[in-house]
Amino acid sequence: MMISCREITKSYSKGSHLVTPLENLSLEVPRGEFLALMGPSGSGKTTLLNLISGIDTPTSGDLEIDGENIAKFPRKQLTKWRARKVGYIFQLYHLIPVLTALENVELPLLITSMSRKERRRKAEAALEVVGLSDRSHHTPSELSGGQEQRVAIARALVADPALLVADEPTGDLDRESATRILELLRSLARDHEKTIVMVTHDARAAAAADRTLHLEKGKLLTEDPNLVSI
Amino acid sequence: MLPLSYALRNLFRDKSRLIQTVGGSALVVLLIMAATALNGGMAGVLSASGSPRNAILIGTGSEESIQRSEVAAQLGGIAEAGIPGVLSALGTPAASTEIHYMSFLEAKDGTRGQGLFRGVTLRALLVHPEVRLLEGTFPGAGEVMVGRLAWRKLGIAEEKLQVGSVVKLDGSEMRISGIFAAPGTVMESEVWAVLGDLYMLAQRDTASCVVLRMEEAKDFSEVELFSQQRLDLELTALRESDYYSALGAFYRPLRVMTWITAGLVAAGAIFGGFNTLYAAFASRIRELATLQAIGFGRGAVFFSLVQESVIACLAGTLLASVIALVFLDGRTIPFSIGAFTVSISPQVAIAGLGTGILLGVLGAVPPAIRCLKPSLPKALRS
Repeated sequence: MMISCREITKSYSKGSHLVTPLENLSLEVPRGEFLALMGPSGSGKTTLLNLISGIDTPTSGDLEIDGENIAKFPRKQLTKWRARKVGYIFQLYHLIPVLTALENVELPLLITSMSRKERRRKAEAALEVVGLSDRSHHTPSELSGGQEQRVAIARALVADPALLVADEPTGDLDRESATRILELLRSLARDHEKTIVMVTHDARAAAAADRTLHLEKGKLLTEDPNLVSI
Repeated sequence: MLPLSYALRNLFRDKSRLIQTVGGSALVVLLIMAATALNGGMAGVLSASGSPRNAILIGTGSEESIQRSEVAAQLGGIAEAGIPGVLSALGTPAASTEIHYMSFLEAKDGTRGQGLFRGVTLRALLVHPEVRLLEGTFPGAGEVMVGRLAWRKLGIAEEKLQVGSVVKLDGSEMRISGIFAAPGTVMESEVWAVLGDLYMLAQRDTASCVVLRMEEAKDFSEVELFSQQRLDLELTALRESDYYSALGAFYRPLRVMTWITAGLVAAGAIFGGFNTLYAAFASRIRELATLQAIGFGRGAVFFSLVQESVIACLAGTLLASVIALVFLDGRTIPFSIGAFTVSISPQVAIAGLGTGILLGVLGAVPPAIRCLKPSLPKALRS
């Protein structure tokens, strides 16, 4: 099993109130699955995504990713783990504006001991996977939204992580670009055996996934793999 | 580690901010370099002006100012006969009777300035071997020789103080017979006349002091003993180096004020830097969180932010160094007893470089800590 969450709860204080965006949630995701998380705002989707990707830690419960229980990892260890295991795709791409597409993609490899030549080769290969080899020396401001998201996917892929997490990856794109991104994510799960967890509000985007989970008020509601067809 | 190019390119994201940071740091670094050069120059000229081998006999109670001192005109002869260890050159004892007299010198065009006049005999050259004639001759009666920096101290154009020019000293016309150098000492900004002329001009029948050059520095004890034995002469013996060190202490409040001013401006610049850099970093909180999300440690991001600030401040340091070299290096600065030449020495450059690095680090640390403080989920949503 790639992801195994057992009764994870996340709560934090907000002023004098205790907010619990996730409560006793259990979930299992096999390797190579493309999972969509849906639910209204405040349902805990992004919190779950942050926990799975090691951006945040649960208040209680066990969270095992690729055989490692990351729930109790200290911050430094979690940072190193993220660099090795997770590729993050954001709704607004979060590319570094002063770096070119190639340099953005190369960023996660700078943490490794890889040679400069090897890093360049891998970054170019990742850009090729997303079909942007011809834009490698463009800065984000010179790319369209769809192209920026593809660069972000290449960046998420380049270090060859087992897990890709995507937070509304098509939320800021037109339909044509969104379709391309979803096809790309599907092929990554299918052809490259990447486990993908995607948060989305868009039922069409969720339909591209192998399975869709619905969350509401921090709890898992239903599973519906074919809610909407593209 | 994040690549240096990330820090470098971030600098050019907001050119006005870059100009502010570079300009602000250049101003502070220039100020620190100027303060270091001025204080170093003043301290240097005072320490170089006194030799530990020279002893000065002055009137008791005038230890802080030779100009106020009065000693018998015959003291030179008495001292050279009674003190063992006085250096002798070809049978002439190195004992120089001198009058130190503060007055005004007037050039032919009417410009005048206050300076130190020293009434001397040829023996002065035995006790002040650093004095070298650059042009002309040692003065005779009705003549003066001027130090090469005297024009700066007097505030009179250099061309008005050339050999052959006529100047007025207390209303008496005197011809400039020569120009001398005494590198790095206050003597370079003095005007020397023959002792006899100064007795008349200063209307005094006593000298200011007798300077003795001893064979060895330790022979000073003989001079001290002489001053203690000859109570009738009411003398105090000082090492020349101690006298100028004491003068240095007199200027300490001035130097402290210079440092306080420089420190206050630097503190102001650091607080200004906090604001500028906080604004720069705060606009990138999400980007900084993204870097952490993809696996860069907080330390690596922090280091890159500090690197960015240090690079900007080093650019300011470079600018300040160029300004200092063009506008400060070699300038002559007058002060009450002389003048000194400002030198942008390696020490001054190191002080500037240290200040630049310190500004860069101190200015960046609090904003960087503040911008890296929010939790990752919160920062990613910002």
